[in-house]
Amino acid sequence: MNQSSIVLGTAVRLMLPVLLVYSLFLLQRGHHAPGGGFVGGLVAAAAFSLVALSDGPGRARRILRVQPLRLMGLGLLVAAGSGVVGLIWGDAFLQGIWPKWAYLPVIGKIGTPFTFDVGVFMVVLGFALEVFFTLLEDE
Amino acid sequence: MDTLLVLPILIPLATAALTLIAARALRIQRALSFAGMASLLITGVVILLHVDEHGIAVAQAGGWAAPYGITLVADRLSALLVTAAGVVGLATTVFTGFSLDRRRERASFYPLLNVLLMGVCGSFLTGDLFNLYVCFEVMLMASFVLLTLGGTRAQLEGGLKYLILNLVSSAIFLTAGGLLYRAVGTLNMADIAEQVAAYPDTGLMDTLAMLFLVAFGLKAAMFPFFFWLPASYHTPPPVVSAVFAGLLSKVGVYALLRTFTMMFTGHLAFTHTVLAVLACATMIAGVLGAVAQMEIRRILSFQIVSSIGFLILGLALMSKIALAGAVFYLLHNIVVKTNLFFLAGVIEKLRGHGDLRRLGGLWRERPVLSVLFLVSALSLAGIPPLSGFWAKLVLLRAGLEGEWYWAIGIAVVVALLTLYSMTKIWALAFWKDAPPNEFAFTGRERDVREKSARRAMLPVVALTVVTVAIGFLAGPIFEMALATAEQLLDPSQYVTAVLGGVS
Amino acid sequence: MSIEHFAAWVVMPLLATALLLAFARVFTGPGLPDRVVALDFVGSLLVAMIGAAGVMTGSAVLLDVALILALVSFLATVAFARYMESRRQS
Repeated sequence: MNQSSIVLGTAVRLMLPVLLVYSLFLLQRGHHAPGGGFVGGLVAAAAFSLVALSDGPGRARRILRVQPLRLMGLGLLVAAGSGVVGLIWGDAFLQGIWPKWAYLPVIGKIGTPFTFDVGVFMVVLGFALEVFFTLLEDE
Repeated sequence: MDTLLVLPILIPLATAALTLIAARALRIQRALSFAGMASLLITGVVILLHVDEHGIAVAQAGGWAAPYGITLVADRLSALLVTAAGVVGLATTVFTGFSLDRRRERASFYPLLNVLLMGVCGSFLTGDLFNLYVCFEVMLMASFVLLTLGGTRAQLEGGLKYLILNLVSSAIFLTAGGLLYRAVGTLNMADIAEQVAAYPDTGLMDTLAMLFLVAFGLKAAMFPFFFWLPASYHTPPPVVSAVFAGLLSKVGVYALLRTFTMMFTGHLAFTHTVLAVLACATMIAGVLGAVAQMEIRRILSFQIVSSIGFLILGLALMSKIALAGAVFYLLHNIVVKTNLFFLAGVIEKLRGHGDLRRLGGLWRERPVLSVLFLVSALSLAGIPPLSGFWAKLVLLRAGLEGEWYWAIGIAVVVALLTLYSMTKIWALAFWKDAPPNEFAFTGRERDVREKSARRAMLPVVALTVVTVAIGFLAGPIFEMALATAEQLLDPSQYVTAVLGGVS
Repeated sequence: MSIEHFAAWVVMPLLATALLLAFARVFTGPGLPDRVVALDFVGSLLVAMIGAAGVMTGSAVLLDVALILALVSFLATVAFARYMESRRQS
């Protein structure tokens, strides 16, 4: 790992929280407007990739805390689980269930389509980072 | 009901997720994958029994009615194939644990295998053309990584050919799907079947049929698009070849069966003549390749191509008995082909390679392995009373009844040449004495390989038992195949089941 | 002239011309750094074009698209720069 550029490092440190918040915003907006888990996950992955480029993949992994592969697995489970909720409490697999009590300020109503999107977010983030980190570490 | 049809997709998905989470612990991954595949197999059997008793089962995922929602349909064909996928998946999981090197096994092998199975089962069950495309892509992603796992030069070369050809196929599939959607305004397969039958412009429908033929023919390795298969299937570890040989190319055949028994049936004289000619060309091309090769897995790869030809011939003849023969042959071929690749894997484990010129003496050294190989090889070649014989017999009879004498002539010649290529493996690898300067493993390496080969025999024995059972239970299984063919020939059953008779 | 017309008839043609010139640089090179800078420029132009399209159609959503494209093209350029740096060292 060669010494990184100060400009890049500083910029990335400032951008990381902004990008992560933006990715969550995209995720949340996804149900009724353009956005969603896929784009959100990509933006989050881009944020972590920038960290990996400026400070090395090791540092990015430490900030992420979870292993990318494990994140993928969890995401798949969350998505599949949201489908099963529809199967158990509704009529069909993947049916949207919006419980009345599930309401958070700012975010709004929470239902299985939203949790499905969260799963997608995690899968995309995990997949993109696994690929990116592996490529960087191969060098 | 809904639950039952979702399970073959949900189980591999959940297994893939759990094995990803347990990325570090190989034992847990193995156990999870085993449990997942076993439950998939059980689910397949339950669906089969259900469909056999109550007719075609339909589930609308998402709760939207067809033709707008995500439709899952299981008729007899789908149920049989899901069960077969369970068998192959289970055997593959066991074989992997005993034969694959640790480095590859650790590198997300089990998650990929499960994602592959999810795509395969999804393709068998979906009642929607676009979801079929999605499942194809899921399979393509998983299979490409499986093919190149480990990243040797040969693997990357084979993988590139595989990827490019399959991407072309996907692009054509997508184009054809888009054009069809523009013409008939639906992607639900049952709805398409109705709309296409009523569509005034038959020329357009014939063109679309040919586009789908090319797209699925590429996936199934049909003539003239077969060359990618023998160029890539022998490069990855044997267990990957086995699951590809058993399931992947069969999905293409399944898609052809669906398309040309249900959607494009208006102009049989044209579409099915094309199919018959291509089927014969596929058989010839495959078997000639098999005869010319000198490496076990290359020979087997070319034989996949020729067996695809047999299957498509059954579809082309389009009579009840011919389709039954094709279904029977499909089931037999899934099991036998997987097993033969397993056996090739065991041989490669013992000797370090699969080159017939440098092999020999296996009969003297390993009588059990030899007998197991002989059973599968003779079954594939079509020697009574093994399963392949019945399959070919039925197809030949169907051809005679339909008076397709030239196709039957070709099929007989191809069957004989298949027997010859199998005999070649037998004579060179098992019968002849080991070449004097043959390289042999020694010491610890030898012990490790011996032990692993012995254990890997477990799934081989299991699949051989299944093969023999298919041969001896040919009667009841053929009854089942006939019932399946009946369903295929009467698409109105499928349409009514999906659309509920209101349209 | 309304702002929509301005975007459609002045901004877009200018950007399109710039895009053509940038592509010419990508093809002619001559070196890898030239191409990378040109590609980065193509990315910036695309961001601007999407922004102009947003003005033309009056949909604010396109600005998000522009934002994400800007992010991705920045990432690509940084990755390229790193790649060239590591190649020069070896």
